[in-house]
Order: sequence, then structure tokens, then C-alpha cells
Amino acid sequence: MIGMKKADTTTPVIALKGLTKRYGIGDAEHTVLDNIDLEIKKGEFIAIMGPSGCGKTTLLNVLGLLDKPDEGEYKLDGKPVERLSSAKRAAIRSDRIGFVFQSFNLVPRLNVIENVALPLAYTGTPQLKSLKKASDMLKTFHLNEREYYMPWQLSGGQTQRVAIARALVNDPSIILADEPTGNLDSKSSHIILEELSDIHRRGNTIIMVTHNPDMTTYADRVITMLDGRIDTDTKTTVIQNTRSSVTKKVSLGSRGKPAKKTKRGKK
Amino acid sequence: MRLLLLNHISVARESLRRNRMRTALTTLGITLGVTCMTVIFALSYGATKLVSDQVDALGGNLAVIRPGVDRSPQDLREVVAPLGGTSFAVSSLTEKDFTTVSELDGVDKAAPLMSVDGSVRVNGNDQPINAPIVATTPELATVSDLKVREGQFIDDITNQNTAVIGHQLSVDLFGTDQSIGQVFKVRGQQFTVIGILSPVEDSINYNNFNINNAVIINLTSGKSFNHGIAQIRQINIKAKESGQLPGLVKRMNDLIVTNHNGERDFTILSGSQIAKPTSFLFNTVGVVALVVSAVSLIIGGIGIMNIMLANVAERTREIGIRKAVGASNYHITFQFLIEALVMSVSGGVLGFFLGYAVALLLGTFLPFNPGFTWWVPVASIGTSVLVGILFGIYPALRAARKNPIEALRQYS
Repeated sequence: MIGMKKADTTTPVIALKGLTKRYGIGDAEHTVLDNIDLEIKKGEFIAIMGPSGCGKTTLLNVLGLLDKPDEGEYKLDGKPVERLSSAKRAAIRSDRIGFVFQSFNLVPRLNVIENVALPLAYTGTPQLKSLKKASDMLKTFHLNEREYYMPWQLSGGQTQRVAIARALVNDPSIILADEPTGNLDSKSSHIILEELSDIHRRGNTIIMVTHNPDMTTYADRVITMLDGRIDTDTKTTVIQNTRSSVTKKVSLGSRGKPAKKTKRGKK
Repeated sequence: MRLLLLNHISVARESLRRNRMRTALTTLGITLGVTCMTVIFALSYGATKLVSDQVDALGGNLAVIRPGVDRSPQDLREVVAPLGGTSFAVSSLTEKDFTTVSELDGVDKAAPLMSVDGSVRVNGNDQPINAPIVATTPELATVSDLKVREGQFIDDITNQNTAVIGHQLSVDLFGTDQSIGQVFKVRGQQFTVIGILSPVEDSINYNNFNINNAVIINLTSGKSFNHGIAQIRQINIKAKESGQLPGLVKRMNDLIVTNHNGERDFTILSGSQIAKPTSFLFNTVGVVALVVSAVSLIIGGIGIMNIMLANVAERTREIGIRKAVGASNYHITFQFLIEALVMSVSGGVLGFFLGYAVALLLGTFLPFNPGFTWWVPVASIGTSVLVGILFGIYPALRAARKNPIEALRQYS
């Protein structure tokens, strides 16, 4: 079924052409993204790697409509987005994009369930319904007992799972994760990655920025960036069989994976 | 939208609760301003209502003529000067005007009011008592509905040197309210008490004298203090039917203008116009107090702006998160505006109740009670809403304009 979902996507979800982003002016000008061409198909799990300052996060911010490129074309679902008003961009973020940050970024004054329900507030979902949805989402992350905890009462891994739950509560088609495991130990990191590949199996597109080469094993396409350009892209070197990659991932992910998760993965 | 509003209100409540002290202090500024405003509104409405109720009680067929043109103050100097330039002027109304209007067809009764300057003292008692001395005709009893408790009102056949006095004055002068036949002196002239007026609850009225404390004498006696010339400061007219009043006012206007050689140097008030606060001093105090409350509201507003700017700075990261999960600039503006409004409106509501408490307290020292009507809370709380929007919009817009990327980078 997953394979079918991927097969019917002919137009890329994300298409970048000559995307350029600069910071500063005059002599201090610095090109962060330099003429990037990239196509991402629906259902891909992409890991973006590269040294610090190579523009990974900026690329993710541009993809997530938080930032605007200076030059180039960005088509989301075949539609250019550069000229959209900020309200339209916000609506797209609310509707289609889920963000997961390195530093978790939960609102400290809201409890876990309110944090997860936050994106729903901007789509006009009734409060009771959105709390119910948030609660259901937390259940899939085995956090239903922590619903009324405050963010500071959670461990790093739990916090990041809450953040992922929040990114998913709107049922977005694209998940943008900026070093989601950057602040976690390796065990928690693998749990988080398991969650992400699980989401990927459900047909979501995931774009993840990471420093850790270990984490790229979960992805089916790895892009390396250097000085604002795409250095390598596994798509152009190896034509991957998505199905086999999924199988590979599951076997890789089963290291130290709790039994219940495997069950969920099979579903 | 409504859901978002509820969400914002609960977020605002939570955020304000976290900073209890500074929220309380900020709200206090608004509370004091609104309290001050409510007191003024409640008292001025109470004073106006008092007089208008009296006018209504008289059946709505009352008109009064006053000397001078009633105009609103032209500039600040006139507002500040408690005694206008005309305070000591000779009245433009004459006895002839009174005779002219009282002979008109639609007029049921008319009574002139002449104030006599002087104090009242009992024989042998050296301490004079200040009391309003009013010279008038017997018709005043009917026109202004004055009730005599004992004895009789002045009439055409009574002796010149007789007087009707207020209930309180009788007690003050003679130590009893049974003072018929007692004598007292006004400017050396002796008067005998022939009647005591029934006590009236409201000492403020459109006649501008305190009935409980007054001496009422015949117009002829009054004129004798002024070389036989009546110094009329008001003529009260009771129309036969209230429907005739507008036409009657017009006719009186024309006639008096003719009497005054074409000069329009008088004012005829009828119906609710009479109820306008007649005391210039009261208006002045009201204006000054309103200015004070406006200043205090502005200071309160600046406090709100200050706190909201601090809030926005503290919560920059939260703004970034909210934007990342789909909040538009509008949502963020709305959220912070609601927070400012929660503060200003709660201050306003608190101030409104506090204001009424203060007004009621003040009412015990004043001759009238604060009035309650729909526009007092609307004005008080409406003003606090206005202050909240006015001073909350800038911080809210600043919050909305934050770049989400920079906002997310804060403290990370």
C-alpha cells in the first residue's frame, strides 16, 4: 500500500530551481544557499547532512515557508509559493507542514496536551475535538499518561516525542525535522527515528537535517550539502528501490526496539 | 474564530497569572482611572436626574426664564473661572416681563424669583444665619409644588412683613419646627413667621435654592430692599397643558424680546433642558476630574504597553513556535491584543465597581445620590476597552512582525 502511494506521485511535492538565499549586504554578504535544484517526491524520507553553516537549516526553513529565498523558484505541489501573502504561507504551514526542532520548542507555559493541540487552534478545530485528537496522537506515542505534565517535567526523549506528536496532529503531508535527535542520547535518538520512519511508512514525506551519519540509515535518500550547494545526492548515484529500503530500515531499526513498536510498524 | 478567542483568553489568563504582581500593578492604573470616571459619571447623572425627576413630577408643563444667554463656555478660561463674568450682573429680567408672560393665554400660573442678599437673625441673637431669601408671589406654591406643613403660604392679603420659612431654618433659628408667630430680622427689617414648609428631601432643584433652609417673602417686601425694583433671577411658568408648551415658549420669547427692545438677553428652558446641571462650579469640578481620570487612564495605558512589550520580548520564542505551527501574523496580533484587553477590561470592571462604591460613599456627604443608568458602565468599561486596544495594538503588532526564524533561535 505504501508502495502504491509512492507510485502515483508523478509531480514532485517540492521542486526547487536555482534557489538562492543570501544574508547580509555589501561586503558582508554571505550566500547561504547557492543555486539549489532539488526535487522531492511524495513519501520520500530524506536526510540532509553536512557540516555546520552549510545551509541545511536555512534550506529547511525555506522549505517550511518560514523563510523566503532571494532568488529561484520553489514549487510546493506544483504551485509557486514565493509570492504568497504571509497569511497564505501561515495557512500552508498550518495545513501541510509539521515542524520538529532540535531544541524541541514546546511552549513552556502550556502543558503537554495543549502543546500538541496548538496547531489545531489555528485551523479552527473546536477545543474539545482538538484535545481529543491531541490525546489520540499522544497515545500513539505512548505518552497518554503524561498529558497534563508541563514540558519541564519530561525527559529529552519524551519532549521530542511530544514535539513530533505536535508536528503530526494536523495530519501534515510534509514533516520537516531539524536535527530532531541533536539533543538526545543514542537510545532516545533511535526511538525518535523509529517514530519518524513509522510516520514515513504511513505515506508522509519527511525531510530531516542531521549531523549523525548513523541516523541516515533510516532515510531512503541522503543529501549532503557543502557551502550552500548540494554536494551529493544518493538519488542521482543509486536508484533506490523504496520497498527494499523500507525492509532494510525495519531490520536496522529493530535494534533495541520495543516489541510494541514492531507491532505498530507492521500495521 | 470563537474557539481561537477562547484559546487566547485562556492563554492570556495563564500568562497574566504567571506575573501576578506586575499584572496587578498594571491593572491598578486602569482601575484608578475608571474609578475616577465612574464617580464623576454616577454623581453628575445623579445630580441631573434629581432635577429632571422634579421637573417630570411637575407634569412636564414647566418652563423657566433666566436672565442672560445660556451658552457653553467658549474657551478654557471660561471653564476654569468658577464665577462667570455675569455672576454679579444686574438681571435682564424685569417685573414687566413677569407681568407679560403671566397674562399669556396658555399660562396657568407664573411666579418670579427674586433673591435678596442678606442674613437672618433672631432678635437678641447676634449670630446671623445665612439662608437664601427669596421674594416671590403666592403662585410659587403651585408652580413649584411647595407644601406648607404648618400655617399658610404667603398670599396677596397677608401683611408685608410676614414670611414662610423652611423646616430646617426654623429649627436653626428658633430651636423648634413650631415657630409660627416668631419674629426674625432681615437687614434690620422684622418678619413674622406665618408658615413652615414641609421638609423636602432633595435640597438641589431647578429653583437653585435649598427649600429646607429658605426664607420666602412677598415680592413687594423683596423690592423694598432694592429701592422698589424687582431683581428677578428666574421666572417659573406652568402651562395649562404640556402640549401647549412649545408654542408658549415661542410666544414668550417674542414678547420678551419686544420688551427688551429687540435684545435677546434671556433664556427660556423647558422640559429636560431645565434639568441640565445648573451649577457652573459642579461642571468645572467635573471637567477637572475628567481630565485627571483621562491622564490616569493614559498612564495606565502606558503601563499596559510597557508590560506587553516586556511580555512580547519574553515570549519571542513562543511566537516563533506558534508561527511555525501555523499561526499567521493576524493570529499573533490577536493573541497579544486579547492579553492587553484582558488586563484593561478587568481593570475597567474593577474600577467601575470601585467607582460606584466611592460614589455611594460620597453620596452620604452630598445632597444627592449617585445615579445608575446604562451608559455609566458602558462608558467606563468602553473606555477601558479603548485604552486596551489603543495601547495594546503596538506591542501586538510588534509581536506579529517578529521573524519566526530569529524568534526560534532565541535562547536556543
